[in-house]
Amino acid sequence: MIKLIDLKKTFNGFPAVNGITLKVEKGELFCLVGPNGAGKTTTIKMMTGLLKPTGGKIIIDGNDLQEEPLMVKGIIGYIPDRPFIYEKLTGKEFLKFFAGLFGEEGKTVDDKIERLLNLFELKEWSEELIEGYSHGMKQRLVISSALLHSPKVIIVDEPMVGLDPKGIRLVKRIFKKLSSDDVTIFMTTHNLSVAEELGNRIGIINEGNLIAVGTMDDLRKMAKGGGAYHDMPLLEDIFLRLTGGEELDEVIEVLR
Amino acid sequence: MNDYLYLLQPRFKSTLNILKRYNTDRLVKTVFFGLLGILFWIGIYIIFHRVLLYFRGVQGIGDLLSERLLSMVFLTFFSILIFSNITTSLSTFYISEELNLLLSAPVPQERIFFSKFIETMTDSSWMVLSFGLPVFIAYGTAYHSPFYYYLAIPFILLPFLVIPSGIGITITVFLSKILPARMARNFFFLLSIFAFIILYLLFRFLRPERFTDPEAFGSLVGYFTELAIPASPWIPSYWATKAVLPLLKGGGEGLLFYFLMILSTALTSFIIVGWVSKKYYYDGWARAQEKKSTSSGWKFMESFLSIIRKPQARSLITKDIKTFVRDTAQWSQLFLLMALVVVYLYNFKAIPFDRVPLASFYLKNLISFLNLGLAGLVLTAITSRFIYPSVSLEGQAYWIVRSSPTSLRDFIWSKFWTGFIPLILLAEFLIIVSNRILNVTDFMMALSTVTIFIMTFGITGLGVGLGAIYPRFKFENAAQIPMGFGGVLYMILSMVFISATIVLEAWPVYIIFWVKFIGRALRPSEILIVVLSFFAVILLNFLAFYLPMRIGLKKLEEREI
Repeated sequence: MIKLIDLKKTFNGFPAVNGITLKVEKGELFCLVGPNGAGKTTTIKMMTGLLKPTGGKIIIDGNDLQEEPLMVKGIIGYIPDRPFIYEKLTGKEFLKFFAGLFGEEGKTVDDKIERLLNLFELKEWSEELIEGYSHGMKQRLVISSALLHSPKVIIVDEPMVGLDPKGIRLVKRIFKKLSSDDVTIFMTTHNLSVAEELGNRIGIINEGNLIAVGTMDDLRKMAKGGGAYHDMPLLEDIFLRLTGGEELDEVIEVLR
Repeated sequence: MNDYLYLLQPRFKSTLNILKRYNTDRLVKTVFFGLLGILFWIGIYIIFHRVLLYFRGVQGIGDLLSERLLSMVFLTFFSILIFSNITTSLSTFYISEELNLLLSAPVPQERIFFSKFIETMTDSSWMVLSFGLPVFIAYGTAYHSPFYYYLAIPFILLPFLVIPSGIGITITVFLSKILPARMARNFFFLLSIFAFIILYLLFRFLRPERFTDPEAFGSLVGYFTELAIPASPWIPSYWATKAVLPLLKGGGEGLLFYFLMILSTALTSFIIVGWVSKKYYYDGWARAQEKKSTSSGWKFMESFLSIIRKPQARSLITKDIKTFVRDTAQWSQLFLLMALVVVYLYNFKAIPFDRVPLASFYLKNLISFLNLGLAGLVLTAITSRFIYPSVSLEGQAYWIVRSSPTSLRDFIWSKFWTGFIPLILLAEFLIIVSNRILNVTDFMMALSTVTIFIMTFGITGLGVGLGAIYPRFKFENAAQIPMGFGGVLYMILSMVFISATIVLEAWPVYIIFWVKFIGRALRPSEILIVVLSFFAVILLNFLAFYLPMRIGLKKLEEREI
């Protein structure tokens, strides 16, 4: 469903994404994890057409994003890391506006908006201006908007930021259900436990390079190759090992 | 003291950083507005100097007239400052983003209050003060005052400024006990705009141009003599007048008394506002955090907009209209616009055609023709404020449009039509009504209405296009958007394009009137000139509309976010 072929992006000569090649199957929930500045958001922004790749291709549902941008965007639901939305619209108006951008309107959309508002517990606030919403409520509204047009692919950048535990649980369940309904989900996150819990496969990106891809078992095997981490059960350990974050232990020592 | 000033550091350092990091954009803006400010300054100085010299020459009551004028100046400052302090303090004390940080930090409330007081006073007073300066200099030069007059003015003004700040902030603190701060700010914002409009209209209807006529000065004297300015000895503006007057002539009688009156009142008001804030501020701030609800009375507009076939364009236009209407800072400027229109049309009524009855027919048609340029400039100013920023106003939410399957062509065109339709209605209204007042020929009426129609395409296209070429999605204040490089460039290009249109039409219009005057038909060569000129006008307007829109679209497509 998603193919990234030698995807590159440089900013003033600095390679933010350095030739990523990756294939995500239909209905798969793929998690991309990596330290700050590794290139996660840049990759996602390229996949949603917000940034232009310096090189390579992005193929979604068989269509090249560069050549058929509107067609590809029509089947994507994008959830950014920061919910910047129109503050002077009400929650309901925002969802209607969003549906309109996808060319969808009418009773079916209105019904779906109602269902999503209920699902994300925003019904009570739906006639209030967004400027009065909390960060978490805005995030829930953005997630609702991304689901409005029944996308085939959902691209999510840090979906859990700002959500309360109930919201996090709801989003996890929705993603699992969508994935079982053959919706492909490409997600970046800092939250390794979320990636470990949700991801069918996990990719680790560091300094613009995709350094490891696979299931949790695959990643464990890869990390064991070093020989020192025989019993590492958690993604966190694997992540730190592969991204060179072991010096964290020293930091903790200093803090003591 | 350092502890108290510490909280002002971010503001101070931010200003320093802005000054240090100069770029072309800011330089152009600074030079442009700096020059504008200097011109305005010189204008104020000249007017006051001239009036004061005239007053001084009036036998017997000259000084009384000058005193009344000064008293009026101080009273006006005092009233404006109270108003301005109320609106500013609603922002600085209640709405400002940094308050969350400050009020959650272990900072004593009196320190927050002190820094906010200074901030409010500075923000509210600097403009009044800077425009007051040429008035005081004019007094000094007209009266050949000694140097210490100029030195003493700041010492009188500084405590004088504290008093309206104290009153304004106290009103705000009490007001916020009753109303949420946002609502109160909107209310006062509208009130201040109304007050400004009334002042502006009154000033215009006073016909200040009459005072360029020496005969008219007589009526000015009469006006000031009869004017009943509140001269109560309990008003601080009275003390300020009485403190400044002896200095003007190099004397000092009463100076100390009135200066101490101002100083002690300033200190008292500072103490009172501090006490009031300590008691009531926190409650009001907590209320200011309350959410704002909205009613949904949009059904009519939505059904009207259903004539737009494409759902994408319809959604964008609906969103833009709702956002505009709900932003008080945006739509309230329409009142200013209305005042501008009234004054604009009044100007045509005020032209003294009766003084030149013979030439009046040609003069009226000439003015009607030149009016096209004038209306074009008004439309440019409106476009610069409302239409040029329309792309930038998407702000950080621009990702929504960019990641959706809506084409940027639909996006930019929705911006165009949202701006064009109200603008064309206004343009035609201005032209038709002013032409009716002038009673111009049918030909002139037809020419004006068609030309302004075509020109509005160019003006809007240029505005939307340049707004898309130079978007500022990360703005803090919407009013700053048109003040960037792109905004200034738009103003310049639009003026050039309007002038070119007028110049291109001038020759054929002259030919047509001349032929009519001598009573013969147009020759083939003249018809050719007329047709070519009008064709050139259409071409120029098409280019002014098409090129910026096309380049703007391309720039938006290339732009990464």
